[in-house]
Amino acid sequence: MNAKREKSINSAKQTNGTSATAAVGPEGNTHFHTLTRQAQAKRPSQAKPHYPRTAALSAPHIESYNSMFLFGSGATVEGLLDKGLRDIGVKSVFVGKDKLEVWISNLVVGKPLLHTSHAATSVIYPSECRERGISYTAKLQGKLNWRVNGGPTMSEPRSFGDMPVMVRSSRCNLENASPSALVKHKEDSSEFGGYFIVNGIERLVRLLIVPRRNHVIAIERGSFQKRGPTYSIYGVSIRCVREDMSSQSMTLHYLNDGALQLRFIYRKSEYMVPVLLVLRALRETSDRDLFMRFTQGKTGNTFLTDRVELLLRSFKGLTVHSRDECRAYLGSKFHVMMDSADDLTDVEAGSEFLKNVVLVHLTKDEDKFNLLVFMIQKLYSLVAGECAVDNPDSPQHQEVLLCGHLMAAYMKEKALDILEGISNQVRMEQRMKPVSVDFHDNIGKKIEYFLATGNLVTNSGLDLQQTSGYTIVAEKLNFYRYLSHFGSIHRGAFFAELKTTTVRKLLPEAWGFLCPVHTPDGGPCGLLNHLSHTCRIITTPLDVSSLPSLIASLGVGQMTGMGPKVVGPEISRNSKLSDDEDSAVEIDPRVAKKIMDSTVLSVQLDGKCIGYATAATCRRVADTLRYWKVRSENNVPLDLEIGYVPPSNGGQYPGLFLFSTAARMMRPVEYLPTKQVDMVGSFEQVYMDIACVKEDVVAGVTTHIELHPTSILSVVANLTPFSDFNQSPRNMYQCQMGKQSMGTPVHNYPHRTDNKLYRLQTGQSPIVRPHLHNEYGMDEYPNGMNAVVCTIAYTGYDMEDASILSKSSHERGYGYGTVYKSEFIDLGEKQKRNRGASNGTPFLHFGLFGPKGDTWMKPEMIEKLMAFLDEDGLPKVGVRISDGDPFYAYYNDIDGDVTVVKFKSFETAYVDEVRLIGNDEGTQELQKVHIKLRIPRPPVIGDKFSSRHGQKGVISQKWPTIDMPFSESGIVPDVIINPHAFPSRMTIGMFVESLAGKSGALHGHAQDATPFQFDEDHAAADFFGEELKAAGFNYHGNEAMYSGITGQEFKADIYIGVVYYQRLRHMVSDKYQVRTTGPIHNLTHQPIKGRKRFGGIRLGEMERDSLLAHGVSFILQDRLMNCSDYSQCHVCRLCGSILSPVAIATKMHSGGIDGSVGDTLSEARDAIECLTCKTSKGIDVIAIPYVFRYLCAELVAMNVKLKLDIS
Amino acid sequence: MSDGKGPQVTIKSTDPIGKSLSFVLWNCDLALANALRRIMIAEVPTMAIDLVDIENNSSVLVDEMLAHRLGLIPLISSNTKDITYTRDCNCEEYCENCSVVLNLNVRCDSDRNRDVTARDLVSSNPNVTPYFANEDDPGVVICKLRKGQELRMRCIAKKGTAKEHAKWSPVAAVGFEYDPHNRLRHTTYWVETDALKEWPVGPNGDDEHEIPVDPNEPFDYNAKPNRFYFVVEGTGVLDPKEIVEKALLIIHAKVVHTMQFLQKMKW
Repeated sequence: MNAKREKSINSAKQTNGTSATAAVGPEGNTHFHTLTRQAQAKRPSQAKPHYPRTAALSAPHIESYNSMFLFGSGATVEGLLDKGLRDIGVKSVFVGKDKLEVWISNLVVGKPLLHTSHAATSVIYPSECRERGISYTAKLQGKLNWRVNGGPTMSEPRSFGDMPVMVRSSRCNLENASPSALVKHKEDSSEFGGYFIVNGIERLVRLLIVPRRNHVIAIERGSFQKRGPTYSIYGVSIRCVREDMSSQSMTLHYLNDGALQLRFIYRKSEYMVPVLLVLRALRETSDRDLFMRFTQGKTGNTFLTDRVELLLRSFKGLTVHSRDECRAYLGSKFHVMMDSADDLTDVEAGSEFLKNVVLVHLTKDEDKFNLLVFMIQKLYSLVAGECAVDNPDSPQHQEVLLCGHLMAAYMKEKALDILEGISNQVRMEQRMKPVSVDFHDNIGKKIEYFLATGNLVTNSGLDLQQTSGYTIVAEKLNFYRYLSHFGSIHRGAFFAELKTTTVRKLLPEAWGFLCPVHTPDGGPCGLLNHLSHTCRIITTPLDVSSLPSLIASLGVGQMTGMGPKVVGPEISRNSKLSDDEDSAVEIDPRVAKKIMDSTVLSVQLDGKCIGYATAATCRRVADTLRYWKVRSENNVPLDLEIGYVPPSNGGQYPGLFLFSTAARMMRPVEYLPTKQVDMVGSFEQVYMDIACVKEDVVAGVTTHIELHPTSILSVVANLTPFSDFNQSPRNMYQCQMGKQSMGTPVHNYPHRTDNKLYRLQTGQSPIVRPHLHNEYGMDEYPNGMNAVVCTIAYTGYDMEDASILSKSSHERGYGYGTVYKSEFIDLGEKQKRNRGASNGTPFLHFGLFGPKGDTWMKPEMIEKLMAFLDEDGLPKVGVRISDGDPFYAYYNDIDGDVTVVKFKSFETAYVDEVRLIGNDEGTQELQKVHIKLRIPRPPVIGDKFSSRHGQKGVISQKWPTIDMPFSESGIVPDVIINPHAFPSRMTIGMFVESLAGKSGALHGHAQDATPFQFDEDHAAADFFGEELKAAGFNYHGNEAMYSGITGQEFKADIYIGVVYYQRLRHMVSDKYQVRTTGPIHNLTHQPIKGRKRFGGIRLGEMERDSLLAHGVSFILQDRLMNCSDYSQCHVCRLCGSILSPVAIATKMHSGGIDGSVGDTLSEARDAIECLTCKTSKGIDVIAIPYVFRYLCAELVAMNVKLKLDIS
Repeated sequence: MSDGKGPQVTIKSTDPIGKSLSFVLWNCDLALANALRRIMIAEVPTMAIDLVDIENNSSVLVDEMLAHRLGLIPLISSNTKDITYTRDCNCEEYCENCSVVLNLNVRCDSDRNRDVTARDLVSSNPNVTPYFANEDDPGVVICKLRKGQELRMRCIAKKGTAKEHAKWSPVAAVGFEYDPHNRLRHTTYWVETDALKEWPVGPNGDDEHEIPVDPNEPFDYNAKPNRFYFVVEGTGVLDPKEIVEKALLIIHAKVVHTMQFLQKMKW
């Protein structure tokens, strides 16, 4: 059927990047493209990737990693690492009177190479690292420079270890590799990289949400009051990010006595500084000047003027006046904290403090001064209630911490650590030759450790909220799960512990940036989100050098002092309405106009004040800039974010905020005036008018329209067919289940060494698929199979979400899966464990015999072993092994012994591959092998299946075909599900899919299942109903069906169609647990738990309750006593103790004829005596749970006697 | 039967390539008709590959998948009466009497991928060979080989029924219908407005046109279905006619067996 409708090979749609406006609709997507895919598989492209959208999935990761080495495209080729090193600058050490300056420069990462002596240039590719279980790294080299007493600069190249290399980054040997080159290097043709290989495991740095950089946000937080006695709940904070992506946050606190304190964290310690001290240190200024700046002409606002007055007065106590006095004061306090050079004066140290701590994203003191003034204004406005608090949980005030940016900041810190290490050594050893200073600081190893564990070992904290959990394994369970890792974005580990749910809420500000559907339920719900599929993360710096002058030309002034006269209550009667009206403000339009004309707003570019203008001007500037940026005129970059916050009554603090930095989330929408694609950021979007569909456009208001309503969904959420028909939680469940279905994780199975790999052998291309299915090339990685599904309650085996499978379908291969398990066997490690460090030559060797063919084994035993193993001691490829069979054998030189290791597993497996692993040069004796086992997993009763609509269920029965219901044409369903699965779950999408699948199968074409294609007037049921009618079937998808058992027609007609089913990875064979007797716990004598240890399943308190309620006391006795820790023991009836009866040795001898005690406890009773009663009269034998005895013993230890009343 | 004639069969049509046959079984009880259907699907013996001795498999398909695919290849099964079931045979595992060996030895030496199809199976018994629709039929694709890959295996085909495994079923589907106009009211059609308009009447409906459909006809509570429309769509291993005949013989044999059993019993 697939090939029948295929008309031309070239019919595949080639859609690039953002222009998702390609024709979609019920007619637009009815090809399977089988031949195109076959051609691509046979002859992969030599140039472009087959699916550009899939290739772009890892873009934020790769681009950010690349930016460490090349950031921007200026005249100087410079990466984030270079910027970081420049920011560290020179570290000075003093030894006596001599001054030594040390610094690192030219950090360079090469390309991954093999460590060989002979062929030094041979490159290593990712697949080799995966197969050998090593890390994909390249040499990290740099220059260590030093200078003594300002003399000539000396330098020496140094290696800083091996730096992990991101696959397909600019350091990777597969950068720019074409699909055909990828296949040549044992990768999938659609390999998109974006991860690291650490010890053979693929790991990536998950995207993390952090506060938006260089933007002041207003915060109200109860905990602020805990900072000190007069602290209020109000504050404004800013996360300042340097050019090298390292950051320093600052918070400005409002104190109830009118003072303002600047708080920051430096090297994990918290510091407070009076803000006026900083302001006065930044610039020579007067009280009058400050007053004018803070009030900006709003002298009528007594709330403001009172507080400014208090603020200015409070500073008098410090008795520092001039700029230099302030600097010296700061310097004297922070010299030690900053670890500044010893020869710096206090003024210089103060300057360094201002440079390195205060508003570090700005370089000029004037800019810092201006921004501090702005912060103060915003804070006062917040306190006065004139502006609202900003929501730090809203994407409007968030950006993304990218892998490369984090690594660059981390490496910068590690480089600084090295310099500090050197200076400490020099100081201690009083030496002046850093060449002979050994430093073992290996930056590469530290990065590798970070990637392998996700732990940041840092002494500065890097201005981040968490120290662990940064990296995750890129599991290749199936393709859905794999690709969703790259779009997953986490809110931060800190928020996971928060009891309040506010951080987890889905906010309207997230529209189009974070997928509303694709988040797990349970623990990480709402914290672990996924980017919508059109959302891009900016990774390159924009050229905004011309912006300030451009803005000035549009009427933005540079004045810093007074603003225009404040709005009075009276309104000029002559004022006219203008087009500049902000229609969102629901007040008298004339008042609005007045406000617009008289309110002076700050215009900021990346947190730098570049001018002041009236609200009306700002609005005009914003509109003009947007027009220019869409049309790429006047050098306004498309990725510039133009956030115009209009003045409002108690809303967000107004201003015109422009953002050009990296790490912002942006997404494409259509700009209506020019019909071009505009990029919209999460800050500006809040104040924009973007229509979702054409019907939503309001003339004169709407400026933008969505490219497609599905833009808001993540890739995985987009792949749910007809998701707009479903109840929303069901779509969330599908996002989870799609990621745990057995499918096609990779194509390069022979080159994978994953711990566990699930593979669906009989995967199919879905008949019903959304258009993105094609664009992301999902047909390359089938994730399920099309099943004929009949919705009927039949034989009762489909109750409670169980489903019935046709035995014939099963026998024909429906849902047939395979699990691949891997084991690495390293003799080297065994040797280390046995003998500590050996002298280098291994004494363990793989093999069934010794070097001379010697063995202690009998010939028949060898014959048995040879059925499984070859002479080299490794299993034969293709052999079937079960628990207890020989797995591999090795020979020990020292004792001449051959050890045969047995295979331990619950299941029978086939040896799929045996991989011999050597060292880089390939000269080492074989010490490490990788054995891949293949476990066939045909579907069995109890295995879990689901449709793509959050409808999961287990197989409860496999009925023979003849007993299954059938239609008049003889069609027997593959799967039967119960109609009760629908009313409460309301997964109408599944019905529509069934209908569409049926007509698609009948007509032989694919069906488009993109959501939001149908509406009331063009109903999906009608569209597919007509198709069914044309094929001679009932319009509604029902059919008269017959019982297979009696042949009688059913009382009701049955809904039957074709639905794509996924087989989930939860399988009984991994979970079944059975035990009669087995291992018990040492202390309690109760069965232990755990499937692996052959333990039992706990019959808990609630189960006990239900047995009690049933009155089945014998079962209860059986479960809790007989099958658990039944034991017999002696008790003394006289004193009631079970601990005092002890065996008396003398009596034991006289008791039995031959001195034995006797077979049973009762026979031996006479040999037992109560220690307290000194007699064996009262000794009796009772049955108790063994733990009871333990309880008694524990109580005795606490001096509590437990007395049994035996009657 | 009431008229004393017993069940009758009318052949409606056979399809030109001889894969399907439609007929009407009339003057017959529902139980018998369904029994015929069930037996055609599950109890007509055919040949199918059951054991595969894999000597070499360097293809991309894993052994068990390859064996599974081989099992599903239709083998012509007209002469199954000459072959005994292995369970009834005296041999230990399999022998000439109860099995047919098909050899598959393919190696790809050209630069182009080679399709291994059912045509590559070499049978030891000329009566049991893979089914091909015609001379041009390339046969079922078993696997694809690229240069250097090889398949070398012995496939042992055995006689069996679909009760055991679907690969032994001689039919792809059996269409079965009675009462196309729902005069017996066994079912209730779900309708928006009008059942006649919304429910398409299949080809079997036309067949009953000779009997007038009167909407005001009083409902006969005692009416029983007695015309059964069958479409037997074979997989090619047996002629559809043969399938029906064999199925009837199996019913017959069951009845005879019961009779014999009863006779032997001392009442």
